[in-house]
Amino acid sequence: MKLLALMKKEFTRFFRDPRLIISMLLPGILIYIIYSVMGAAIFSEEEDYSFKVYVSGDSAVVSTIEAAVTENDWTAEFLPAEDEETAREAVRSGEATALLVFSPAFDDMIALGPLASTLPRAEIVYNSEDGASAAFATLANTILDAYARTFSITMSDFAAEENFAAQMMAGILPFLIVVFVFSSCMSVTLESVAGEKERGTLATILVTSAKRWDIALGKVIPLACVSLIGAASSFLGVALSMPKLMGVSLGAAVSGVGAAGYVMIFLLIFSFVPLIVAAIAAVSTLSRSVKEASAYTSVIMIFVMVLSIVTAFVDGIGGWVSFVPILNAVSAMQGVLAGHMVVWQCLVSVAANLAYAALLVCLIGWMLSNERIMFGK
Amino acid sequence: MQEVPFSEFGEEVVRAEGLKKVFSLSRKQQRLEKTGETQKVAVAGLSFSAYRGEIYGLLGPNGAGKTTTLRILSTLIRPDAGDAFVCGHSVRGEAQKVRDSIGFMTSELKLEGFFTPSYLFDFFGALHGVDKETLAKRKQELFARFGIDRFAEVRVKDLSTGMLQKVSLVISIVHDPAVVIFDEPTNGLDVLTAKVVTDFLLELKAMGKSILLSTHIFSLVEKLCDRVGIIIDGKMVSDGTLADVCGGMPLEERFFEIYHAIKGETV
Repeated sequence: MKLLALMKKEFTRFFRDPRLIISMLLPGILIYIIYSVMGAAIFSEEEDYSFKVYVSGDSAVVSTIEAAVTENDWTAEFLPAEDEETAREAVRSGEATALLVFSPAFDDMIALGPLASTLPRAEIVYNSEDGASAAFATLANTILDAYARTFSITMSDFAAEENFAAQMMAGILPFLIVVFVFSSCMSVTLESVAGEKERGTLATILVTSAKRWDIALGKVIPLACVSLIGAASSFLGVALSMPKLMGVSLGAAVSGVGAAGYVMIFLLIFSFVPLIVAAIAAVSTLSRSVKEASAYTSVIMIFVMVLSIVTAFVDGIGGWVSFVPILNAVSAMQGVLAGHMVVWQCLVSVAANLAYAALLVCLIGWMLSNERIMFGK
Repeated sequence: MQEVPFSEFGEEVVRAEGLKKVFSLSRKQQRLEKTGETQKVAVAGLSFSAYRGEIYGLLGPNGAGKTTTLRILSTLIRPDAGDAFVCGHSVRGEAQKVRDSIGFMTSELKLEGFFTPSYLFDFFGALHGVDKETLAKRKQELFARFGIDRFAEVRVKDLSTGMLQKVSLVISIVHDPAVVIFDEPTNGLDVLTAKVVTDFLLELKAMGKSILLSTHIFSLVEKLCDRVGIIIDGKMVSDGTLADVCGGMPLEERFFEIYHAIKGETV
């Protein structure tokens, strides 16, 4: 009853204040806009590419492509492919930029149009992980497409799209999620705990017969729920802008994750949001003012950011990581997004984070009873 | 729980027995107080009683230990020695029951501006475990009695200072406590709001509540209090009815006579 009243008050304060709701949703919208603009800027930049292109078969369109390359102030060396498989291997290894393959009598068949006995085919073999290769493939595809519409073009990309996207997502998203979640938690928790302590309204609650444990839980649970909304907004902002920023489709990027992966990511976020809220609430309870709490929380945020970025660069972290708060969630999320989810690691991480959050709630309860902390005596 | 004793003043609802509280001083506090001592005795063996239906005033200069005493009685801080009983419940061992028996207020308005008086009344009622039916009845009664009903759905931040003070006072007695503890009730208030508070305290007394207040304002004690305890340096130096304490002298004159005798300094 008392816990419900405390929780209801926090929810009411949030959901009846349009400014708080906007402050939760705005980051996601801003992230979407900023990343989309950044993506547009990145992909509009042109570099001085130099291409080495193998050509298998023969077509006049090669000279058109060569002219287009020169027009773009790029350089290209077109070499006949003596052996198609060797040329493909050269593209795969990065020794060559691309391979153009034309079916026999390609130009003749194009000229015959619908009367041609067989459908002329062209294939562009490239590697989208290489910027030059991707740029050439785009250019060649545009020219071939305009050359005639009566033949098929096959785009063969050596970069496994799912793996590339997954690697990219795995490396960046967990870090971003943690940062956004932390920001959301900070914005609501500092005001609700340190703000109430600073204004003295927390002391008013302490004189009631509500137990300290109820007061601590009555803060952490609703604040965690509200922070989840903010985190979800930020997550959607990132997920939707990722295709624009990285040039990959969202579907391709997340196709390797699967339903189980999404459930696991949700569980991981669900576990570390209360942990972060409880940590900020504990620091806020310890502080005398919002300003002091902000300063302490900023230090924690830097620590959390370092922890979460570390996993992107360190390989072969042992199973012990599952017991390290935040680091465990980031590491587990990276595994899920990269398509090699370790279920036990995820579940241990979730359990560990919830256990740490519970410990912090107990600590907050104790701090609320401590007169030195609450009244500075 | 101790049996609540009766005396010539009636039912004893608050009893302090040898309360002692010592605070550690930080380096900053030592500099401010110009002392090399690492500890400060805020309350030194304080004993007194307050009775049902009376207003008891703790009178003393700043730093005498009035607020510390009231915080101990409100269970916000624990005494280092001694004990206090509110309606027979020990502040040391039965803090939860003590909180059910008291309403605690200070002159500083400590309500969240975002909420309405009606919402906050329900919120604090729920925290005190008051059932919905009783709560609705009390809200109607108290809001009407103190003229809050017209402002029940106005956000606290939009209320006038006087109305806000009334709301704070009403919320402090949402659970119908036997004892109301009020730290410096008119400190920093303008004359109109101060009148709201003093009228309210007299209303509470008429309702049969026991009121324990701290103040350094002589006129307030003379106007409101049935009995008074004078605290200097954490010690109770005089305690009784106004007539007993003053002995025919004006309270202010008597206070400084005692102060001079104890501190050996003139003001």
